[in-house]
Amino acid sequence: MSNYVLKYSRGEEVKYISHLDFVRFIQRAVRRAELPMSFSKGFNPHPLMAVALPLSVGVTSDCEYMRIAFEGSMSGEYIRDELNKSMPSGFKVLEVWQNDNGELDFSRLNRARYTVTAELEGAMLPDVEKFLAEDKIIIMKKSKSGEKEADIKPHIFSLAAEETEDKCIKLTMCVSAGNSYNLKPDTVIAAMEKYIDGFKTVFYTVHRNEILFD
Amino acid sequence: MPLSKRDKLLMSVEKPTRYTGGEWNMCVKDPKTVDVRFAFCFPDLYEIGMSHLGLKILYYVLNLREDTYCERVFAPWVDMESEMRRRSMKLFALESGDEIRSFDMVAFTLQYELSYSNVVNMLDLAGIPLTSAERGIDDPFVCSGGPCAYNVEPIADIFDFVMMGEGEDMMNEIVEVYKEWKKNPNRTRRGYLEELAKIEGMYVPSFYDVEYNADNTVRSVTPNNPNAKPRIKKRIMADFDKAPTPDKIIVPYGEVVHDRVMLEIFRGCIRGCRFCQAGYIYRPVRERSADTLTCLADRLLSSSGYDEISLSSLSSSDYRELPKLTDNLLAMTEEKKIGLSLPSLRIDNFSMELMKKVQKVRKSGITFAPEAGTQRLRDVINKNITEENIINSTDMLFKGGWTNVKLYFMIGLPTETEEDICGIADLAQKVLGVYFAAPKEERAKSINITVSTSSFIPKPFTAFQWVGQNSREEIIEKQKMLKSAITSKRIRYSWHDNKTSYLEGVFARGDRRLCRAVIQAVKNGCRFDSWNDCFDFDGWLRSFEECGIDPDFYLRERDLDETLPWDHIDVGVKKEFFKREYARAMREETTPNCREKCAGCGANCFGVGVCYE
Repeated sequence: MSNYVLKYSRGEEVKYISHLDFVRFIQRAVRRAELPMSFSKGFNPHPLMAVALPLSVGVTSDCEYMRIAFEGSMSGEYIRDELNKSMPSGFKVLEVWQNDNGELDFSRLNRARYTVTAELEGAMLPDVEKFLAEDKIIIMKKSKSGEKEADIKPHIFSLAAEETEDKCIKLTMCVSAGNSYNLKPDTVIAAMEKYIDGFKTVFYTVHRNEILFD
Repeated sequence: MPLSKRDKLLMSVEKPTRYTGGEWNMCVKDPKTVDVRFAFCFPDLYEIGMSHLGLKILYYVLNLREDTYCERVFAPWVDMESEMRRRSMKLFALESGDEIRSFDMVAFTLQYELSYSNVVNMLDLAGIPLTSAERGIDDPFVCSGGPCAYNVEPIADIFDFVMMGEGEDMMNEIVEVYKEWKKNPNRTRRGYLEELAKIEGMYVPSFYDVEYNADNTVRSVTPNNPNAKPRIKKRIMADFDKAPTPDKIIVPYGEVVHDRVMLEIFRGCIRGCRFCQAGYIYRPVRERSADTLTCLADRLLSSSGYDEISLSSLSSSDYRELPKLTDNLLAMTEEKKIGLSLPSLRIDNFSMELMKKVQKVRKSGITFAPEAGTQRLRDVINKNITEENIINSTDMLFKGGWTNVKLYFMIGLPTETEEDICGIADLAQKVLGVYFAAPKEERAKSINITVSTSSFIPKPFTAFQWVGQNSREEIIEKQKMLKSAITSKRIRYSWHDNKTSYLEGVFARGDRRLCRAVIQAVKNGCRFDSWNDCFDFDGWLRSFEECGIDPDFYLRERDLDETLPWDHIDVGVKKEFFKREYARAMREETTPNCREKCAGCGANCFGVGVCYE
């Protein structure tokens, strides 16, 4: 058995697939590619795989990571090419490498960069510097245990805004991500709406540019 | 990355992958390169429609043609519908996203009566005139097929034409005739329908006049067009082993009801249960060979990536090559860690051995369908299962560690008495006794028996097509009776809602006058009638009243000499045979199955299948 890391992208065509559906989808793609998946031992064997940072419904991404185990040893290029032949358009495996020595450790994942394209109620360029200069940025944050107030300021590493067309802006941000603290761009937007006068989005889409490890 | 209208729409509904298409194995064609654009519409949710084998087969058959692009359309769930209406969006096909009102052909599959309101609602949402009479030269042809097409009368006015029987060949024929017709600069819609009417199995409802008697029964159904045949005979695939069947199937992103490879092992059923429409309309039984199926299973599994495969038929145990097929499949599934599911198996030594061999068998639920509580009533309905069968089978199951047994019955069957109702409770009690009689070290620690009843609905083309359907009050009374007859806490009772059964009964044996009520009901907001959270019974009753229709009329017992609304349709099985079977039922006499002794039903007119084995 060998461990591999898959780096892949998810485009517009497939951004509405939920995380659970995506996991099932990958298992089927691997079967179609006739790659020898490794299964867990036990009464109810399941394929050994794990996604680094699940993607929310509606979000596209340039840079996703997944760990997966195969029987035997194959080249990363072979796995990449076979998988790409077995995936509908919208998915692309970019790179595959063997990871037996834990070269890429998912537990060290701690940041992600996003681009948010937003349509605003009224045209404005939000003053993000002033927003980031607040002592604390307190917002209701959803977690597994329910909703509670949290200061998200320490988790915003960078934030920039740029006007693209009338009433539309592009936000780029780098925020905490991963198991220890995950900050969704949606929460940042909600906080901006709370703290910046007159800033109100009508609709926005999110794109993940990069997942970063420390 | 622009903000599209599509994103705004899809982010506002649940399960957006119902509407996005783009799944693996979806057929991709350039619509500009085809002659015929075909919308295959399943009038229910994506998850239901994508589980339907017929859709997969006909999608494959049509898309084999270079001149045709067949796309899928499902009923948008209520959240999507209201968003679409708010934005004045028209119903679109999943493959191209194009509006289906610009297609050549819009075809609905009619699998159950409670989807009729969805058919009308989908046409409304598509912006296509609801009835055949209202459509013009630029509108698509709207057609249908499937089991409910055999009595399509309650919604006959909707369709330009209807296909009777198995559609694999008919699909090609309607496309061929359409292409010829399209070349004619002076073409009329009527001209196309006249050409179609000449083909066996094609029913053009507008080519028939229906007259009624003073008592509201049908007096006659008469062709009003020289091309229309007095009787329309269903079509079948004579050589089922070689009938076209997809070796690639679309793999949905979201979970659907039957999310697996389905292998259709045979069509038809030898059993002849007298209430069962499927058992009669799919006659004669035709099998696919184990070799063909093994090869197909291998291709379907590799092209789909599914990790589960299931046999599909009305009664798997009646497949003659079952041991060979299951051996072949087990070899395949073990190697690839694939789950094999074997529905509609009789419980006997063979199937118990088989289940031991199958990986991942959850020893949880097994369903038996005795259908009736006493042997007398089981003889009436010709359900050839005895109390001894059930006791022996459950004994095997309990000793094998099974913990959940579901017993399925119908109430409201013809000749039913209090004794038959209480017989259901007795039988469940006896099954419970079997569990306690099993040695403690062999049986599981706990036991759950579920008794489930549905209400009997007389269907056209069955031996019981003349029978009166129990009123809602009678059904409720019987449900109460059964509830109080079940005393053990280990036996759970669940029953089917009497209101949907009532509506289903009205449409099952309805006539053409009902169409106005369906359209009215959709205007009144009725759709998704088989979904509890949408079903609006009062809306339906109001709609019948607004149209001056008494729905009870359709549940009444019919006279044997009465002209039935579906008498001009020929399913092969003869009306005389149904009368004979009805008479035998009343005498509590059973009829042997097709392989034991031919009962002379008439299905041998197709010249193939079990009749000639």
